[in-house]
Amino acid sequence: MHINWHLRELNLKIVYYGPALSGKTTNLEQIYARVDASHRSDLVSLKTHEDRTLFFDFLQLELGRINNLTPKIHLYTVPGQSYYEASRRLVLRGADGVVFVADSSPEKANANIVAWRDMETHLASFDLAIDQIPVVLQCNKQDIYGALPPAQIRQFLHVVQVPSLPAIANAGEGVFDTLKMITSSVITQLQRQTTVVQGEA
Amino acid sequence: MTTIDPKESIDLPSGVTLHPSQDEAIDRLLSDLLQRCPARFLLLAEASGQLLSVLGKRSTNDLVALSSLIAGDLAASQEIARLTEQAQNYHLILREAPETNTFIAEAGVHLVLFVQVNKEVPLGWARMLIHETSCQLAEILSAQPEDVGKLDLGLSEEKINSLVGDGLDSILKG
Repeated sequence: MHINWHLRELNLKIVYYGPALSGKTTNLEQIYARVDASHRSDLVSLKTHEDRTLFFDFLQLELGRINNLTPKIHLYTVPGQSYYEASRRLVLRGADGVVFVADSSPEKANANIVAWRDMETHLASFDLAIDQIPVVLQCNKQDIYGALPPAQIRQFLHVVQVPSLPAIANAGEGVFDTLKMITSSVITQLQRQTTVVQGEA
Repeated sequence: MTTIDPKESIDLPSGVTLHPSQDEAIDRLLSDLLQRCPARFLLLAEASGQLLSVLGKRSTNDLVALSSLIAGDLAASQEIARLTEQAQNYHLILREAPETNTFIAEAGVHLVLFVQVNKEVPLGWARMLIHETSCQLAEILSAQPEDVGKLDLGLSEEKINSLVGDGLDSILKG
């Protein structure tokens, strides 16, 4: 989070995390394609020759003013492949909120669990527990045969309290709902902290 | 305004807040560095990649993307140093090219300073000035007025949800 009171800008960092090929980059591509060019940056993608994320994808969105502050949302994805663990940790650094993009295929259940634990470990390395940062669970690929419903995915990840929603990211479904949910959670949380400080004063 | 039980509060990772006076002091420091070096181009970003300030001759208009890449570059380099047990308090990357030299320096824990100089500028001179400026930037940032980091929008959760929703809907094409 970075607030520039001179420019009255509120800059937020939101990271899309999840197992390989779960649809993290697809989320950003859909947002990029559907947002007016005057309100977004170019989509930066550091990819391998095989078109897989090497370091991160990045996209900035600029919203209209909210109570005289202009929110700028910086969206990042992490590389999902297992050997990019160190890079995932770096991208997660300084995140204000996380979207965990789960793959709803039954055969990817274990990959989701491993990625979730991996995320918890990295957050812990920054002295953050999973309940200390806003997280939204996006259950992607709901259109595939036998897709697990969000409630079941929450159950096997042991994250019953984490808000979740279904998505078919390559068709754009659930992409903006996810973005709205995580952005609202982060801003609400920032304000809640302020309220606590004032209450204590 | 509703008071929330502190137990319900989530601690967000600490970020950077800039008071107008700090913003001005940073601009003065960067202008000074641009002239003394002399540098072709300077960019200051927050460690997570958010652009704070630019000065000099731009070689790209996509400064937002450039900031994210610079922060990623420094973060990767810091991690390489950590993994190879070469971690140190002040981290600087030097990239040499035929016509220019580029420095990416850590300015405290929150900031990244990117400096491009012509080949004629002695490396040692540039390195010394960049180190000096990085330390001063970190000092400016560490002197935070107490109320600067507080975000008081005075809005209910429902209102924030509604404003964020409307804000995102409004930037969609057509």
